[in-house]
Amino acid sequence: MRRFRYFKVFAGGMILVGLIVCGVAAPMIAPYDPQEQRLEARLQPPAWAGGAAARYWLGTDNLGRDILSRIIYGSRISLLVGATTVILAGLLGCILGGVAGYFGKGVDELVSKVTEIFLAFPFLLLAIALMAFLGQGVVNIILALMMSRWVQYCRVVRGEVLSLKERDFITAARALGAKDFYILLRHIAPNTLPSVTVVATFAMAIVIISEASLSFLGLGVPAYIPTWGSMLSEGRSYMTRAPWLTIFPGLAIFITVFGINLLGDGLRDLFDPKLQRQ
Amino acid sequence: MNKSTRGMSRRQFLKNSAAAAIGAAVAPAFVRDAFAATRDRVTIYHSSVADNMNPYKHSSSPIYGQWQHVFEPLVEYNYKKKDYDGILADSWQFDGKRWVIKLKKGIKFHNGAPLTAKDVAFSIERMKDEKSGSLQGSNFKDVTEIQTPDDLTAIFITKQPLAIFLDRLENRFIINKAAVEKYGAEWEQHPIGTGAYRFVSYQRGGNFVFTRNDDYWGGKANVKEAVFKKVTEDAARLAALESGQCDFINNVPVHEVARLEKHPRVKVDKVEGLRMFLLAFNVAYKPFDNKLVRQAANYAVDADSIVKNIFEGIGYANHGPVGSNVVGADPKLKRYPYDPKKSQELLAAAGYPNGCDIKLYYSAGRYPKDTEVCQVVAAQMAKGGFRVDVVSQEWATFWETTGVNGGKLPFYYIGRGSLTDADTLYDQYFRTGTTKRTNYSNPEFDKLVEEEQKTPDMKKRTAFLQQAGKILMDEVPYIPLYNLADIYAMAKNVNWKIRPDEKVLTWDMAVK
Repeated sequence: MRRFRYFKVFAGGMILVGLIVCGVAAPMIAPYDPQEQRLEARLQPPAWAGGAAARYWLGTDNLGRDILSRIIYGSRISLLVGATTVILAGLLGCILGGVAGYFGKGVDELVSKVTEIFLAFPFLLLAIALMAFLGQGVVNIILALMMSRWVQYCRVVRGEVLSLKERDFITAARALGAKDFYILLRHIAPNTLPSVTVVATFAMAIVIISEASLSFLGLGVPAYIPTWGSMLSEGRSYMTRAPWLTIFPGLAIFITVFGINLLGDGLRDLFDPKLQRQ
Repeated sequence: MNKSTRGMSRRQFLKNSAAAAIGAAVAPAFVRDAFAATRDRVTIYHSSVADNMNPYKHSSSPIYGQWQHVFEPLVEYNYKKKDYDGILADSWQFDGKRWVIKLKKGIKFHNGAPLTAKDVAFSIERMKDEKSGSLQGSNFKDVTEIQTPDDLTAIFITKQPLAIFLDRLENRFIINKAAVEKYGAEWEQHPIGTGAYRFVSYQRGGNFVFTRNDDYWGGKANVKEAVFKKVTEDAARLAALESGQCDFINNVPVHEVARLEKHPRVKVDKVEGLRMFLLAFNVAYKPFDNKLVRQAANYAVDADSIVKNIFEGIGYANHGPVGSNVVGADPKLKRYPYDPKKSQELLAAAGYPNGCDIKLYYSAGRYPKDTEVCQVVAAQMAKGGFRVDVVSQEWATFWETTGVNGGKLPFYYIGRGSLTDADTLYDQYFRTGTTKRTNYSNPEFDKLVEEEQKTPDMKKRTAFLQQAGKILMDEVPYIPLYNLADIYAMAKNVNWKIRPDEKVLTWDMAVK
C-alpha cells in the first residue's frame, strides 16, 4: 500500500519533471521551428503511420508545421500558466483564508461572503467572461484563471485554521506572548502546508485544462503562440481527414493532467495521518 | 416518505434507465428515415440565416435568398446569359436620366391584392428610409424621384445617367403597400409578397419556415415546405447532413469534399463563387502610401499556392484586378508573379532596406479558413521582407466605423460578395469618396468610373472598366487573391440547380 503511494508520487513527479524539461529546453529538443510552414508538406501523417516524410514523428498540421515541435513548445504555455496561476491564486487564497479563519467575526463574514459569490459562478464561465473583458494575452489568462481559482485555497485554509487555532500549541504560543502575525506565520502556516500542496496540485491540473479550453475557444494567447488548446481548436475541422492534428495535443493534455493528479493523489495519501497509521 | 410518494423504486428506476438508454441508442436509426428529404419538406442548415424579420435590415446574399421565397425583385441577374431577367418587371428602358420599368400583368400578392407600381415606389421609399432600419438605401442614393403614371409603370429619375441601375435593383424586394399600412408597426410580423412561397414562421436562431404558394404566377414549386436553420459551425452542419437531420447544407469545408463524394447518401455540388477575396491597403497609412511598398507586397503573396494548398485546388486565383468572369475583366492584365526577391528589392527602393513591420487584420471565422490564409500570407510576406503581425477582430469591430468602414485598418483581408461587375468593387473600394475603405484617390480613375457608369453600351463600358483596371494594377491599392468555390452538399435525392450567388432557392429543387 505504502509503496504504491510512493509510486504515485514518483510517477506523477516524473511526468511533471518531463514537462518542465520540455518547456525549458524546447529550443534544444524540438526538431523544427514550431512556426515554420511548409505548405507542400501539409497534413503529413506521423512517420510511423505511413507518413511519406520520415522527418515528422507526429506528422504535420494543416499548414505543414511539425506537430511534435508545436507540442513541445506548447508545454511552455501550459507550464507557465499552470505554475504561475497556482502560486498567485495560492498566495491570495491562503492569505485571505488564513486571516478569515484566524480572526473570525466580521473579517470571516466578509471573506466568506466574497468566496461564496465567486463560487456561485461556474468556474469556466467566470474565466471566459474575464478573458472577454481583458483581451488575449498570457498575463491576462493568468489573471483570469487566478481570479476564478483562489477560492478553493481560501476555503480549505480557512477550515484548517479554524481547527488549528483551538489547538493547545497555539494557546501555548499565545500564552507566551506571541503576536497574531507571528502565530499565523510560524505556527499555523506550516501546518496548513500539506493541504495546500494537495489543493495546489489538483488546481494545477484544472488550470492547465482551463487554459487549453480558453485557447480552444480562441480566448487564450495570441494565435501565433502554439498551445495545446489552440492546436486542438485548429485541428478539429480535420478530425476525419487527419486525426493526428487533434490526437497528439489531446494526449499531451491528458498525460500532463493525469501525471499531476497522480502526484496530488500520492501527496494526499502521504500527508493523510489516518492512512499513515495503517 | 413512503413508496407511493417516492414514485419509483430503485429497481424500477434502473429498469427504466436501461430502457431509455437502449431507446436512445436505437432511435437515430429511425430518425434517419423520418428526416430524409421529401417533396413535403426540405430542411436546410445554413451558416447564415436572417437575424431579424425586416427584409431590408441586412445586406447579405444568403439572406436575400431566404426572403426571396416570399418577396420578389423587379429583375434578377442571369449568370448563364450574363444579362438581366425580368421577375416582376416585364420590360425596361434606359433613357438619359430616366429608367422606365413596366411590370408584368396579373401578378397577385399572397393577400390577393394585385401588384402595382405604387407598391414598387412604396418599397423603394422604405429601403431608402434608413430610420426604419434599412441597410439597403445606398443603392438608391442617385434616385431623386419615382413616378407612377399608371398601375404597371414605374419611372425612376436619377441625378445623372445611371447605366448600372439594374444592378442596384437586384435583390430589392417589393412589399405590399396595403398590407404594411394595415399592420402598421407590426408589418414585419406579416410578410406578404408575391413569391413562390408563403411565410409560415420565424424564430431567431431557430427555424425560418415557408410553405408553397399554390397560386404562384410562375408555376407551382416542387417542394412543399422549406425550413431554414442557422448552424454556424461547419462540422455541426456536416454531421447533421450525414446523420439525416437535414437535407441540404452550405459551405462544406474543402477538405471534406473528397470524402463526401464517396458518401452513399450525400452528394456534393460546387460552383465558382462570386465573392472575390483581396488584401486591401488603406493608402492613408504608412508604409502603404508608397506605391513601391504596395507593389512589393503584391510580389510577396502567392495566391496560387494558397488556392492549391489551403483550398486544395478548389478555388480560382484572380489573374488580374478582378476574376476572369466579371464584367470588366481584361485577359491582358496579369497579376504580379510571386517573387520574394523582387519584393525585397522594391522595399529597399522604397526606403525599407531592412524590411518593415506591418499588421494584417481579419475577422476569424467570417470566411472559409481565414485564420489559415492569414497565417500563410504572413509567412509568405516574411520572405518578401515584411514582418507581419496577424490580428483578428470581432466582426462588428472589424467591419464598422471602428474598422474597415471608418478607414481605421491599414491592411486587411476581406471578401466582396455578389461581384459580377467590376464597377461594384471599383466604385465601393477605390473611387474617391464612396467609402473610406482604402482612401485611394486618383482623378483619372474616378473619371473612368464616372464615364463607365453612364455608358449603356456594354462594349464601351467594358473598355472603360478595363482602363480603370489597368490603373489599379499599376497602383495596386490592394492585392487581388481569388474567388472560392461555393460548395454545397445535399441528400442524394435532391436535385438542385446550383447558383453562384450564395442564394438557396427551394423552387430550384426537385426531390425524387
